[in-house]
Amino acid sequence: MAEVNAGRARRLLFLHDADVVAGPVGALGELAATIEIEVPRHPGFGAADDELAEDWDSVADLAQYYLHKLDRDERQGEIHLAGAGFGAWIALEMAVRAPRRFATLVLVAPYGVKLFGPTDREFADILLLDPTEVVELGWADPAACRDLRMPGFPPGLDDGEYERAFADRESLARFAWKPFMHDPRLRRWLHVADVATLVVSGDRDRMVTPEHSRALAELLPRARYIEIPGAGHHPYLERPDEFVAAVAPFVDADRKIGAST
Amino acid sequence: MKCFHFTEMPYPYVAPEVEEEHRGLKYFMPNRYYDPARGYELYQRYLDEYELADELGFDLMVNEHHQSASTLHVSATLSAASVLGRTRHGRVLVLGTPLPHRESPVRVAEEIAYLDAISAGRINCGFVRGVQGETYPSNQNPVHNMDMFLEAHDLIKEAWTRHDVFSWEGRHYHYRYVSVWPRPYQQPHPPIWVSGTTRKLVEWTARNGYTLCNLLGTYEDTAKSFRLYRKTAVEAGLGEPSPDNFAYLAFCHVAPTEEQARRSGEQLMWYLKQGRLRLGAVSPPGYSSTAAAVAALRGKLGEVRKYSFERLVDEGIMLVGTPDTVTKQIQRLYDETGVGNLILMNHAGEMTSNEVRDSLCLFSQEVLPAIAPIGRQWRDDDTTWRVDNDTQPVETVLASALS
Repeated sequence: MAEVNAGRARRLLFLHDADVVAGPVGALGELAATIEIEVPRHPGFGAADDELAEDWDSVADLAQYYLHKLDRDERQGEIHLAGAGFGAWIALEMAVRAPRRFATLVLVAPYGVKLFGPTDREFADILLLDPTEVVELGWADPAACRDLRMPGFPPGLDDGEYERAFADRESLARFAWKPFMHDPRLRRWLHVADVATLVVSGDRDRMVTPEHSRALAELLPRARYIEIPGAGHHPYLERPDEFVAAVAPFVDADRKIGAST
Repeated sequence: MKCFHFTEMPYPYVAPEVEEEHRGLKYFMPNRYYDPARGYELYQRYLDEYELADELGFDLMVNEHHQSASTLHVSATLSAASVLGRTRHGRVLVLGTPLPHRESPVRVAEEIAYLDAISAGRINCGFVRGVQGETYPSNQNPVHNMDMFLEAHDLIKEAWTRHDVFSWEGRHYHYRYVSVWPRPYQQPHPPIWVSGTTRKLVEWTARNGYTLCNLLGTYEDTAKSFRLYRKTAVEAGLGEPSPDNFAYLAFCHVAPTEEQARRSGEQLMWYLKQGRLRLGAVSPPGYSSTAAAVAALRGKLGEVRKYSFERLVDEGIMLVGTPDTVTKQIQRLYDETGVGNLILMNHAGEMTSNEVRDSLCLFSQEVLPAIAPIGRQWRDDDTTWRVDNDTQPVETVLASALS
């Protein structure tokens, strides 16, 4: 009986990437059949005038915000944490602060940790590149691109939509302009992220390369690394079935292990 | 009317196909295309022209841009030091130091004070936010650009006027001990100039009583921007601003005939080439309002770049013609906007030094004396821009101008 209750109380907090539309997009819809999923919009994203984030200037602020929110949440049960790209960076910041808080951690092509030398450009400059370039770098098949919003992309939207896209980019710049898309402090504490972790990368991701994601996984104490073939930076959008096949058993396996201990 | 000679010191030798490949001349241009020997010749030539302009009675302006073949000024204060060393009379307008792009406001305070100290006060000190695309070379966060500009200004002013050691623990800048040596020669500090069109910046400039500079705006946009300044200054109890509170930057070339002037003057349009800069560089995230960013997306910013030569002349941006024609254009500029300082971009692109020198000489002989009296008796002039004549609300300018 307790196990059934625990099962009902399981939920997955999925932290979204930059430039991705709101809600349970792509594979997240299918995952929702196995676990309750929340995809909150980050403070500063999705609205042109979000006062909440006005003074914030680091991803640590966002991690602190989400952890505090979880502390005030009275619901019981397991919390599984996941994030993609920018959201994976936030998730990692949360995991090093509160590793015991989460049953599992899924990181999809995470920004946040610089691994190589000063002249190695590890993250595509999504704040400069044109949308067509971002799509080219981020999709194995650019023609299959979906669920993205950028200034001027997709074409044909009204000014209000693009203003929101600009506001989202402004928030991203606020959190991640310099050092670009990473925080040197995060790398120092990766070894304390003592949580079952799955690092997922698309084998064609040129925004955060698979080499980068694999090397990051090696620095995390309990991480496995998998690569999804035929996917770019957003495997949950471009290869949803393969994404679910990889992620659902991982999240589920932890429940079974949890139930037996 | 006072006139400042200005060249951006371009490097005009980048091949068109290279320019095309790198989306223009600015910010992302590999420096393998710079030839040190030709660069040296260009610097000497441009400094010689500043020297001549000074002898002919012009004041002088320098600026800075970064990682750009369109400008070899890399630091406005370094350029000012070079020009001061070559000249004896003219004021040197440093327009400007892009405060948010400089790491240390205290260094700016020191450098301006030094320039003023060695020249017995020939410096006008311009502060600017820094052009949008230079956010990438400087790598300073565009979201904080305006706040950094304001905080850096406050700190610099404190450093010039406090006359004691103080600490500054602000939002963007942190110093535990500040007391810059030397102090500026002009006390309490050199005249401060600011360029820009955003409402917040224009109002701030007005409330501080600084000189507002419009760069290459149409008559109409420039007038609007200056009207906002005047209204703000009057509301702040500062009295009606004089033409000396306003400056305007235009292209300029004079020659004995209209045809000759046009032939040379058309080359000034080189400066307006935008290249195919990415939107991210034209409008970095957070640098402007989201409404302005959408305007940039829709191609509504910097429209002046698309104007024909004739349109540029009609809008007052291109002061080109015989001395008579140009004198009339300047009179009109004053009549419509109430400006008292003209910054003349007398050179751009591939114009030869002889073309620039001939124009400077002719302008100094025939135009300078003719326009010198303009605005001196501004309180007696019957103009549309006097505060008492101006009853319409001021619309926001969406910058046909360039920043």
